[in-house]
Amino acid sequence: MRKLGPDLAHRLAAEYALGTLRGRARARFEAIARADAEVDAIRRQWEAAFAPFAERVPEVEPPARVWNRIEERVTAGRPRGAWSSVGFWRSFGLLASGVATVLFAAFLYSAGAPRGEPALVAVLISPTNEARMTLTLQAPDTLRIHNVRPWKTVEDAGRALELWAVPTEGAPRSLGLVANAPGDFVMRLRPDDARLQGVKAFALSSEPAGGSPSKQPTGPVLCEGLAGPVKKS
Amino acid sequence: MTDAAQQRLAELLSRTAMGDHAAFADLYGATRAKLFAVSLRIVRERALAEEALQDSFVSIWHHAADYARAKGAPTTWMAAIVRNRSLDLVRRTRELPDVDDSLASQLVDESAAPARDAEAHDTARTLVRCLGELDPEQRQSIALAFFHGLTHSELAAHLGRPLGTVKTHVRRGLLKLRDCLMRAGHA
Repeated sequence: MRKLGPDLAHRLAAEYALGTLRGRARARFEAIARADAEVDAIRRQWEAAFAPFAERVPEVEPPARVWNRIEERVTAGRPRGAWSSVGFWRSFGLLASGVATVLFAAFLYSAGAPRGEPALVAVLISPTNEARMTLTLQAPDTLRIHNVRPWKTVEDAGRALELWAVPTEGAPRSLGLVANAPGDFVMRLRPDDARLQGVKAFALSSEPAGGSPSKQPTGPVLCEGLAGPVKKS
Repeated sequence: MTDAAQQRLAELLSRTAMGDHAAFADLYGATRAKLFAVSLRIVRERALAEEALQDSFVSIWHHAADYARAKGAPTTWMAAIVRNRSLDLVRRTRELPDVDDSLASQLVDESAAPARDAEAHDTARTLVRCLGELDPEQRQSIALAFFHGLTHSELAAHLGRPLGTVKTHVRRGLLKLRDCLMRAGHA
């Protein structure tokens, strides 16, 4: 694809954001922006520049049927990926809590873990319904991670695994990078780690080497699961 | 939209990306009236605006994870999706009804600028000041294109000017706007 100079990129991005770039030219510019991070950044600048305009438009309440149809469409559609699947929390989440007890027992046995009461457990399930990782909070500052087997696609792409704590309220919190290798790993946390406050679920995503640059998951999610009962020690 | 409100929307988007249905419902509740209005200005028919809003939120549900990469304000990201879908849907075969020419003059009226928090106010004020530097015809063309999704030909028909003249107004207006915004550090 042709590389746009900055002046042409600005001209096209401005008309794109304004809306006067239409039809095939619009589609072509979108394709260029998707492929070229610099052009995409210019496109975003122009969208942001015009953003205050939208604040001027007096609000109009849409009818309730719009939301009903949105709900129908997002719940009826078959999930294509972990990020986009509405069924993920519902079906896999329920499944995860059912399977958790069995897997957790097996995990404790195979790992020969001490008989201390684990405070928290999660089994992370892949979109293909496979248990790929278990998490146990063995001590207030020790999260034990069992990686069933590594992700070859992640390794081949030179990407990293990043673990996230998903709270009931607010944005996911990064717990850090996880080795892409089979076996048990220990992740050190702070005692009473704020990142685990009100945590509802855990997710593992594929991120650029070194972790997500935006401090938020950029995906795709490889596996995820609801947090098990938290026992206060 | 305050920083705190934008932060809240960013969190809702992040949770939507994880498949959190309740967060998605909250996101819709917080933005539907503004986004419906944005679409309605462009497509002009309620049925089409409903379709655009519906399609946009289905897309937001599936692509919420992209927001983390996009940076910027959640409202900007979401409004762009709604505008794009509205521009796709609009198919005007008849004459242009009810184009609101007063918007162009309102654009340079600073008292009408939203000023709910310092940063948003700053960006809005810069845009207003920069629009004030444009020729009235350039400003009007840009306002009509943005708010109503008019094409160059539709602008020409509405303004009663030759197509080439209108294209030049838009291009030069945007160029001036860019210079002004860059001087102010906003582009």
